[in-house]
Amino acid sequence: MSWITRLFAGWTGLVLLFFYLPIAILVLFSFNESRLNIQWTGFTFDWYVKLWRDHVLMRAVKNSLIVAAFSTAISVLLGTAGAWLLHRYRYRAAGLLETLVFLPMIVPEVILGVSLLILFVSINLQLGYSTIVISHVTFCFPFVMAAVQARLAGLDPSLEEAALDLGATPLQAFFKVLVPYLMPAIVSGALMAFTLSLDDLIVTYFTASARTATLPLVIFGRVKKGLDPSLNAISTVLIGVTVLALFVTEALRKRNA
Amino acid sequence: MRSFEWTRFLAAAAFAALVSCGGEERPATPAEEAKPESLAGGELNLFAWSEYLPQAVIDEFTAETGIQVNYEQYGSNEEMLAKLTSGAVAYDLVQPSEYTVEAMVKEGMLLPLDKAQLPNLKNIGQEYYGRVHDPELTYSVPYMQGTVGIVANTEKIEEPVTSYAQVFTDAHKGRIVVLDDSREVVGWALASVGVDPNDITPENLEKAKPVLAKWLPLVKVYDSDSPKTALLNGDVDLGVVWSGEGAILINEGGGKFTYTLPSDGAHMFIDSLAIPKGAQNLPAAHKFIDYLLRPEVSVKISADFPYTNPNVEARKLLSEAERANAASYPPGDPKLTTFKDIGAAAADVDKLFTDMKAQSGS
Amino acid sequence: MRQGATSFTAAAGTQRAPGRAGTLLLLPLVAWATLFVVAPAAIMLVYSFLERGTLGGVEWSTATLENYAGVGNPVYLRIVLRSILYAGITTLLCLAAGYPVAYLIGRANLRYRNLLLMAVMIPFWTSFLIRTYAWVTILKSQGFLNSSLLAFGFIQQPLEMLYTPGAVIVGLVYTFLPFMILPIFTSVEKLDGALIEAALDLGAGPVRAFSRVIVPLTSPGISAGVLLVFVPALGIYAVNDILGGGRVDMIGNIIENQIKGNARNWPFGAALGTALLFSFAVVYYFVNRRQRVAEGRA
Repeated sequence: MSWITRLFAGWTGLVLLFFYLPIAILVLFSFNESRLNIQWTGFTFDWYVKLWRDHVLMRAVKNSLIVAAFSTAISVLLGTAGAWLLHRYRYRAAGLLETLVFLPMIVPEVILGVSLLILFVSINLQLGYSTIVISHVTFCFPFVMAAVQARLAGLDPSLEEAALDLGATPLQAFFKVLVPYLMPAIVSGALMAFTLSLDDLIVTYFTASARTATLPLVIFGRVKKGLDPSLNAISTVLIGVTVLALFVTEALRKRNA
Repeated sequence: MRSFEWTRFLAAAAFAALVSCGGEERPATPAEEAKPESLAGGELNLFAWSEYLPQAVIDEFTAETGIQVNYEQYGSNEEMLAKLTSGAVAYDLVQPSEYTVEAMVKEGMLLPLDKAQLPNLKNIGQEYYGRVHDPELTYSVPYMQGTVGIVANTEKIEEPVTSYAQVFTDAHKGRIVVLDDSREVVGWALASVGVDPNDITPENLEKAKPVLAKWLPLVKVYDSDSPKTALLNGDVDLGVVWSGEGAILINEGGGKFTYTLPSDGAHMFIDSLAIPKGAQNLPAAHKFIDYLLRPEVSVKISADFPYTNPNVEARKLLSEAERANAASYPPGDPKLTTFKDIGAAAADVDKLFTDMKAQSGS
Repeated sequence: MRQGATSFTAAAGTQRAPGRAGTLLLLPLVAWATLFVVAPAAIMLVYSFLERGTLGGVEWSTATLENYAGVGNPVYLRIVLRSILYAGITTLLCLAAGYPVAYLIGRANLRYRNLLLMAVMIPFWTSFLIRTYAWVTILKSQGFLNSSLLAFGFIQQPLEMLYTPGAVIVGLVYTFLPFMILPIFTSVEKLDGALIEAALDLGAGPVRAFSRVIVPLTSPGISAGVLLVFVPALGIYAVNDILGGGRVDMIGNIIENQIKGNARNWPFGAALGTALLFSFAVVYYFVNRRQRVAEGRA
């Protein structure tokens, strides 16, 4: 490992420390006896028990995951396709289209939420999963598109030509050559989209219904009472499940390799 | 790279599975279990303040009546109005504050209540009649009442603080938390110079300006959602906050917090239940209101949200400690004013507050 | 057999005109943009010219320009400048802090890369509110940081970290750092290892190798990262509200106030939003044009 790599690794370690300090705190406090998340008073599993019985919170988690999964999937499709088409073809309105696509990123969430609500009402679309997913995709897919566009910049076209020369159809070339090349960007974009969707509050407030309330909505509702540790508990569980899934996947891959 | 997709979806799937199994605590009546979609008793679209209604109370209502409650939450009257007026959802019940009730009545947005369906209405104290916003309680039923007063950490603040002027002194610079609410803060400024907080005119706003210019640089935190946090953390020692927050501080602060109503005059707010025009399930709405008016149900609400309970029968059921809480039930005969609807002037108040906040050099 | 192979021959610097297929494939994107971007933006635009309704909302009677007059008020301009300042500082800090991380991940072998990326993202799948309140717990006067510093004797009195502009910056960098790391990572990952080794080998020193060779090669990723941090950062309202004690109002808070707060002045909020949108659109359109020309896409 060159010294540069070591330097950067050290820096990355510090950054990860920065990232995980609040996480460590919140995991720790999920075992805190005191309701008020202010001072450590004692160790308990009570909040996890309470969480299990909290049907509103559990349903909110389920809703959040469903919405995030669908929003990410559609964002990836739209974003990747958009980036690719804009790269491949010279459209007259390319500049306009790109500007439009990135507009939702700058529009303040309140305004986006209210405008979308008014739009949905005027086209008689009932509030629910569909409206939330539509809203989320609208501000998520620009992130996917930006990531993929960055990757496409300066793409060597001989890559595809080679594939075509070797007898692939354009569609095959796309899926077997281009998509794997774009994978890091697609995955990056997907990660960003998933994160944004999972955590969105304001736009979701305006476009969700009671039954499709997502986790941020429920959590925000509980801020007034004081964020009780069962909210820490749900975050801990979410992290725990993801880390576990990661280890399982890695273990499976190593076995298959 | 594929492992990401897998990890993510695995995690999501695992979680969704976990979530669907756990959490079915809500008891289902046999009728409900028989008809999952077309609900026996119907549905109630409840649109209420976030964290002002215990979920347990809602669940028990559903268990008893079979009425499914769709509980949507908002964090401010304006949020409620925004979504209500859009017409996206036909809400059966909303929970406006007093000045919003007044405005909604003026605009014809509320339906008059059918008192025949509200036998428990008699439990509401007489002092809640004759108020400007709804004198006969035609459109609204008081849910919880509260005040905005001064909280002091007696371990840090030794002298008694009983008026706004005593709060906003240089000695307390950087140790104060106030509500992030333009109408509140400007109202206090007006009260401190002897002007009616509801009398919003350009001249009066000019009078409030120098007061705000003096006060705001002394403020450390603006927080309407959970001002008790800064006080409990010890980052501030004084606050002008909601009485519910004050009550929680008294209960959980180890006895070092006091709640006093400012002598210049305090805001008394009354949050009420009301039925908006366009409500679909009127019988369910009335049933729910009546249910909440039961003393034994009302005390459960008070236990979680220690504001002033307008239900006199419920008050009889409170514990000694609850009744002695100076924030929930302020002693004496303090000078209290409710907010009136001031219409477009609210924007001017907000502009003044924003302006003075920005100028206070943060 | 090169079936329609010519449709894929686009040497760097040229693009094909879209055939029917090209236009058709773009349709979903155009439809989405029209319906869910243009329509809401149009609604906002229309609202900005109306008068406020009594209960919020708008009056459909008269059209007026007074909302835009209000936008020019020095109070709000000052707040806009503050938003730009904070967003700018956040972007620079994210760039400085995030680039090395993105570089490391991009150059790492596949297994470490996956783990590192997940390690970076996982904290952000917890609720934003809870994370931000965790920072309150860390930065408050009796909090983790102060307690540690006091315990080690680095300070005598607790430092006032919370409810300051510094706390807001910490919170903002924390919120946006992944959105800088990820795009840059995609550019780094694409770099040819041989090229980098050559740059480093040629005796120019790592600083020059980076500044002259590596960083410019990753500029698309950097541009994307800057876009994905600066723009959303302009509109934030919650991080500064919580960590700044409500004292660091930004343009997002002002607009929020008009619609969700006491002001009940939707048209003014819409006007502010439109002004913000318009400024962004103009800047972005021209920067984007230059970029597309440089990439040979225009």
